[in-house]
Formats: sequence, C-alpha cells, structure tokens
Amino acid sequence: MNEITLIVNGTPHRTRVSDSALLLDVLREQAGCTSVREGCGVGACGACTVLVGETSVSSCLALATRYDGANITTAEGLDENDDVVSAFADCGAAQCGYCIPGFVLMTRELLAEHPRPTSEQITEHLEGNICRCGTYPEIRTAVSTAAERRSPR
Amino acid sequence: MPETPEKTSRQDWVGGRRARYDALGRVRGVVGHVGDQPVGTCAHVAVHRSTQPHAAIRAVHTEEALAIDGVYAVVTGADLHKRFGEALLTGPAFADQPALAYDKVRFVGEPVAAVLAADLATAREAADAVYVEYDELDPVYDLDTALNGESYVHDELRPSAVFGDLRHLDGVRDTNINYEYRLRHGNPNKVSGARTVRGEFWAPPTHHVPIELPCTVAWVEGGRLEMLTTTQTPSYVRQTIADLLDLPLSRVRVTTRPLGGSFGAKMYDRLEPLAAALAWQFQRKVRLAASREEAFLLTTRHGAAITSTLTADAGGQLSAATADVAYDTGAYADVGPRITAKSGMVAPGPYRIGSVDVRSRCVYTNKPSAGPFRGFGVPQVTWSHESLIDELAHELGEDPYAFRREHLLREGDLAPMGTRMHSADFVGCLDAVAESISWDTQPDRGTGRIRRGRGVAVGVKAVLTPTIANAVLQLNQDASATLMISTVDMGQGSDTIMAQIVADVLRVDSRRVHVVRADTDVTPYDTITAGSRSTYHTGNAVRAVAESMRVRLLALAAEQPEQPEQHGQPERSGVDTGELDEERIAEIVHAHFGARGATLTTEANFTSSWSPYDKETGRSEKVTEHWFAGAVGVRLAVDTATGRVHLEHLAVAGDVGRAINPALVEQQLTGAAIMGIGHALFDQLVLDQGQLVNGTLLDYQLPSIRDLPDELTPIIVESPHDDGPFGAKGVGETGILAVAPAIGNAIRDAIGLRFTRLPMTPEAIVTALESR
Ligand code: FES
Ligand code: FES
Repeated sequence: MNEITLIVNGTPHRTRVSDSALLLDVLREQAGCTSVREGCGVGACGACTVLVGETSVSSCLALATRYDGANITTAEGLDENDDVVSAFADCGAAQCGYCIPGFVLMTRELLAEHPRPTSEQITEHLEGNICRCGTYPEIRTAVSTAAERRSPR
Repeated sequence: MPETPEKTSRQDWVGGRRARYDALGRVRGVVGHVGDQPVGTCAHVAVHRSTQPHAAIRAVHTEEALAIDGVYAVVTGADLHKRFGEALLTGPAFADQPALAYDKVRFVGEPVAAVLAADLATAREAADAVYVEYDELDPVYDLDTALNGESYVHDELRPSAVFGDLRHLDGVRDTNINYEYRLRHGNPNKVSGARTVRGEFWAPPTHHVPIELPCTVAWVEGGRLEMLTTTQTPSYVRQTIADLLDLPLSRVRVTTRPLGGSFGAKMYDRLEPLAAALAWQFQRKVRLAASREEAFLLTTRHGAAITSTLTADAGGQLSAATADVAYDTGAYADVGPRITAKSGMVAPGPYRIGSVDVRSRCVYTNKPSAGPFRGFGVPQVTWSHESLIDELAHELGEDPYAFRREHLLREGDLAPMGTRMHSADFVGCLDAVAESISWDTQPDRGTGRIRRGRGVAVGVKAVLTPTIANAVLQLNQDASATLMISTVDMGQGSDTIMAQIVADVLRVDSRRVHVVRADTDVTPYDTITAGSRSTYHTGNAVRAVAESMRVRLLALAAEQPEQPEQHGQPERSGVDTGELDEERIAEIVHAHFGARGATLTTEANFTSSWSPYDKETGRSEKVTEHWFAGAVGVRLAVDTATGRVHLEHLAVAGDVGRAINPALVEQQLTGAAIMGIGHALFDQLVLDQGQLVNGTLLDYQLPSIRDLPDELTPIIVESPHDDGPFGAKGVGETGILAVAPAIGNAIRDAIGLRFTRLPMTPEAIVTALESR
C-alpha cells in the first residue's frame, strides 16, 4: 500500500492505494468522480479520459501511484459555464452522454494546443474516443463553437 | 441553458426542439448510472467460463477457488439447478438458457460457475482457479453444420411462457431449427419471368457495444428480491425473476438508471437471472459487473444468410420474390424466433410484388447467443432486397432510383404479407434522399485510381405488436408534474419527449414535468423499451394520462364556486380545449385540497393489437400496429488501390409520422446511420471454431469521428399516423435499415462490382477488383 495525494478538480485527496491500483478506480471509488468511466479497459475508447495538468490520460491504463501530487481534472470539475461544457450542451452534443465527458476533456486539450483547430485537427484529436450513439456531427459543431467562444474571431 | 426554467414556449411542447433532459448533467458526466451507485458491502461476483463450444460437464472442481483468501462461496450450475430446478432456464421465446450451465455447455465463454468474494479482483482470480472436466460433443460452428449435421445444440425445444404462440414446438427433438416462419402469396414458381436476379447474401454477427458496461446489483430485503440493473426491460425482468424464485410479483423490485447506450444489448436475460439466484441463495447483496470482454459474450446481433431472387415480368412489373433466410441465433434462442418472423415477413422489401415465397429460420449453433439489435433482424434482409432490386434495375437498364420509386408500396397498398400500409411514406423518403444527394447529377465516376458512385436504398420495418403501455401522472399543486412510466431512457430521449407530450396537453413548461426512472414498485407495467415502440405506445398512454388529467382539472374547476376570469389560450393543435395554464392549474388544485403541495393522480393504458399470422401463408391482416419507412442515399469514392471507401455525402430519411422533438429525431437518424456505416464497411464479430477472436475494443472496430461522411443529412418525413400521439411514431431503428445496401449500391455504381457479403472491407474490395 502507498499513500498518495491526488489533487482532483482542485481538492486534495489523500488516499492509500495498492501498487496495481488503476487511476480510473481510485478516481471513481475514492474521489467520487463517476464521470470517469470504463468502456473498454484497454485504452481504446476514451471514456476514462482525465486531464493531468493539461494532458489527457487514459485512466484505465494509468497506475494511480504514478500520479502522486498530480493535478487532475475530470468533467464534473468543470463549471457549467465553461466554454467547452456549455458548447457541448448548447449543440446537443450528448445522447446517452456516457462517452461525452471524455470528448469534453479531449476538446479542452485540443483547444489548448490549437485555439482554432482545423477540421482535420479535430478528427485527429478525437478519433480515439468512441461515441456509440454516433453524436459525432454534434460533437464537431460543439468543438468549433467552443473554439469560437474561447477566442472569437 | 437547457435546464434553466424559462418562459413556457412552443419549444417545450410537441414539435419543439427543446434540449434533452439534463443535457448539462450528461456533458459533465454527473448523471448517475447503475455502476456509479454506491452499494456498500456486498459480494462481488465473477464467473468461470466454458473453454469448450459444446461439451457435457463431467465435474466442476471448486476447492482451489474456495481456498483463496476473501472468497465467500463458489457456486456451480448444478448447485443452482438443485435449488431452482427447471426454473433456472429462462428466455423470452424458449426457456433454454441456464443462469449457469449445469448439464452441458453450449458456447465458449458460457458461465459454468460463479464466485462470490470480498472484491472483484479476488473473485476473478478465484474464477480462474475453478477447473472443469468436460466430455466433448460435436460442435456446431455454423449454419451449414446446424442445418445439415447430426449434432444438436439442445436436446429438445422448450417454449417459454412468455410467447404463447410457440407452444406447439414443445418437446420437438433432433433439430437445430427452433423456429420457422413461412410467407406464401401467389405462386412464384408459376411466374413467367422476363428477368430474374439472384443473390446469396451474408450479414455477419456484430456487437452492440454500448459504451456503458452491463452491471447488476441484487439484494434481499423484507423477503423481497430487489435489483438495480442496466436493463431496457424492467417489467420483463421482474416477471422472469418472480418465475425463477417462485415469488409473487409484489416481492420483486427491479429498478434502473439512465443507460449509457444499449441498442438491444441490455434486455431480457443478461446478468439479472444469475444475480437474483445468487442473492436469493445466499440472502446477501451481490454485484455483477461485466468487463468489456464479458459483455461481448452476453449477446450479439444475428449473423444471417439469405438466398433470394427477384423477378420482373415482360412488362417490367415485379412479379415474384423469394427468400430463404437463416438467422444464426447461437446457443440460446433469446428473441431470435421473433426476429426471424418479423424480418422474414419484410424480406421481399416494401414493393408491389405479384407473388412471394419466404422461408425464414432461426437456428441454434455453438456460439454466443444472438438477440435483439437495433433493427431487429431487418437490416440483414434489407441488405438482400435492396441489393437485388438495384441489380434488377441495372439488368433492365433502368435508373435504380426511378425503378424503386415506381414499385414502392403506397398509402393503402397491401404489403406482400397482407397488412395495409399507412403512414409509411417510402416514396417521400426516397425522393428526399435522392434530392439531397443530387441524384440527377451523375457523379464524376473517374477513370483512374479514385472512382465515384451513388446509391440509394429503402427500408421497411414493423413495430413490435402487440404491446402494452401504462402511465401514471401525478400533478403537483404548483402545476409541475411527475410522470411514472417504465420506459428506460438510454440516449433516445424518452425522458424529454414524454415530458413534452404532457406539457403540450396541459400547457405547462415541459421542464417542470419529471419522468420517474423505471422502478417496478412505482412505475406501471410497460412491455419493453425496444423496437422503436415507445414514442407511439407509451406516448399514447402518456397523452391519454395527460388528457384525463386535463378533464379532471376542468371538472374540478367547474365545481369550484368562483371561476376566475378565463385566461387567453395559446394556439394549439390536438384535443380540445378549456382554459388551463400553470397559474390556473395551481389555483384549481389548491382550491380543491385547500393545501399547498397536494397532488392529483390519473392513470392511462394503451394496448396495441394484431392478428396472428395465418399458419399456412404467414399472412396477416394486421401484423403490426404501424410501419417504419426509411431511405438512405449515398455518394462515395472508392480508392481502387487500397479498397478504401470514402463517404462524401450520406442522406438518411425516416417517416416518423410527426416529430415530437425534431432535434432528437435527427440525432436518432444520424446516430443510426453512423452505426450502419460500421456494419457496411468494417464492423463484425470474428469467430474461429466457436472462439471469439476480436472480443476486445483493441480488435473490434467501431465507427469513430473519422468515419463520419463529409456531409451527413438527416431528413424528417412526416406522414401522420391516425392513431399515433399527435400523429407520431418511433424512429430508433429507421435510420439503420438501408445504410449498408445504399453503400453497396453506390460501390456497384462506382466500380461495377456487386458485393453480397458484409462488411465491405478494403481487403474485400481489393480482392474483388483483382479477381475481376
Ligand atoms: S476505458 Fe480507458 S480507454 Fe476505454
Ligand atoms: S452519447 Fe452515447 S456513447 Fe456517446
């Protein structure tokens, strides 16, 4: 067992975890972040995405012990008025919504890198996330809308 | 902001594009799903799975597993069979599936023993330590062996109590065919055809892969079995568990949460019978959570082989269609027999055809069970009939769009299976997609590496009939309302549109109408949330319950001494009248009870009916309550060097009668189309000797944002249904029916090759081009 501190959405969580504990499980079970979801467990769907600092991480493949002291953002940590969150909601970019937190965080990462992403940049950045409801058209619109809100032309 | 109350407007009512219920919650991931619910101390369950496709179980050794620290118990199929007897066998069509196998195993991956442990990791470790001795039996890997061999997956057929019309099959032995549907009309053999096209089509098994994994928690409280589970069919599950445990329905409670997608995966008997049996056996709380690999084994979409013909007479009329359809239902029938009949009856397609002969069979094999999947078997036969009619048009030198158009069923026409068409505007859908993709403009087909083509296809499907829907409406004194229905919102948006229906009738803000999550202690019986039936059936019950509330309110108002001045009434469609708005409702209820916070309750039922098929002809005057009509048009480019298909434009149209919420209807159309693109181009389950080869998301390819066509156009066609709520019908499946054949037809147009096997992968296309 190791004692680690995860700073989740700004709040420090001190917790004891085993060597093999996954960041996914620790966030869900100990920090209560159920927006972080297991869709595949093998890094192939993006439902478990979190941001560590500004960088996306598939928490189903991440060992919790490696994130001691890390600043972690999950979708429920984002404000309702956050430009990405509000753009997704306004564009109807959620059907069942199960996959959407992952897309929201990937979009934040994308916009940090490319404030005005091209269509191909959007595709490249989001193609590792699966939305089985097929909300991709609305997600595309939401990403562009968020970019516009963040840095109006 | 979607959830901020604002002034009541038409956006909230029928026809309005209001945002989905809890849109912000979905985006931020704070909607609580089943797997998110804290369950406290419980036994975590893992199962040991069969390594054999078909074998008798000689012995199950559990000692080693039991010796592991943290293991509470290990249970075998034999243990459960001893306790529950034949009730352990469940299923909607045939009572053929045991919660744990006890006499023999029928597919690789079938649960044989269950471990209860302090945590999931321990349970899984112990499940691996269970050791089973088998006596191998001849495996039935495919349809051919199943139909022509002498090994049988089940010794005899055991119709369940759910579908009464299968009773005559009780005890039938020495067959792998559990159901056969026959449609005969006219005499196709006597037709002197001018031109016949023929094809042998194949649609492989696929998987639903809703991103949320199945999860079930079950416990016993006060002598009752309670359950929280990811299911589309809470009412069905309650009955199944009552039967399994021999309890009155009042002592079983099934609750759900919003599902993270389902598409047919989370219905009927999945984790629930095992969870109930274990919770009851040990009188403790158990939690079963499927991993993705396990979810692949719970259910699949039927692989289907179809040999079919279509004939035109000398005058160019469609004179005959035949189809021999075989659905591979795997080791357990699930709802396969229903799929077989409902798809078989539309196998000739939505056309005026002189005579038809269809045989549709549901066949057991030693594979994971196949069950319902968006489209209920119809996409597989649509693949056949829409490829055939396209080919026939080419043979006759006709334009495939115009040729279809000429022969499509119109309002009032009798379909080949004997039921009249109403509110099924095939022509309108076809015209709309043809116009959208500019059918009349010939594609620049190209002469080099890149070739372009365009294609269309049409789909027809019957709604699940007969079914039952109930609704209870509790109107609160503040003119907000609480609607109790057992429809499960899994992304299709029922929590939103049902609120819109209530709000439209009562002239209130739909955001103040809350839809209660299915809970069999509270919400009334509803057959299932599936088959695109909810908008029409439950929608009708919801409309009726709101209407009766309206009548009730007006009666109360009439009894009340001082009638305040009547308010002006906004313009509205639908039923009549009376002067209600939120303020007035609050006054009426307050005056009636003399209290704030009081509630008024009404209830309503809607039940649809059918006439069963004629045993000889398979025809019926009313086989369904209503029809779904859809069409797809595609423009695409084929890279002849790599075989890659690039979709430039895909238009998808569906006749929904009336769109309760056009924005959600469009999402259902595009979402279904995107799923259909996967089925057309790459999506398939690969099995080798009964062993699933690609049952992880590393190996199983699903449509990603990259597979989106350059342009994707959803088109709502509205030909109102006389008996639909506000004329509406459902839409969950309409968009998927015709996608694969439209793409196949466009590929045919681009490179002159007809594909009959799905999916049309780059390898398949390159191979076909090379061997041309
Ligand atoms: S659960 Fe981590 S990528 Fe799918
Ligand atoms: S919205 Fe359902 S999986 Fe994406």
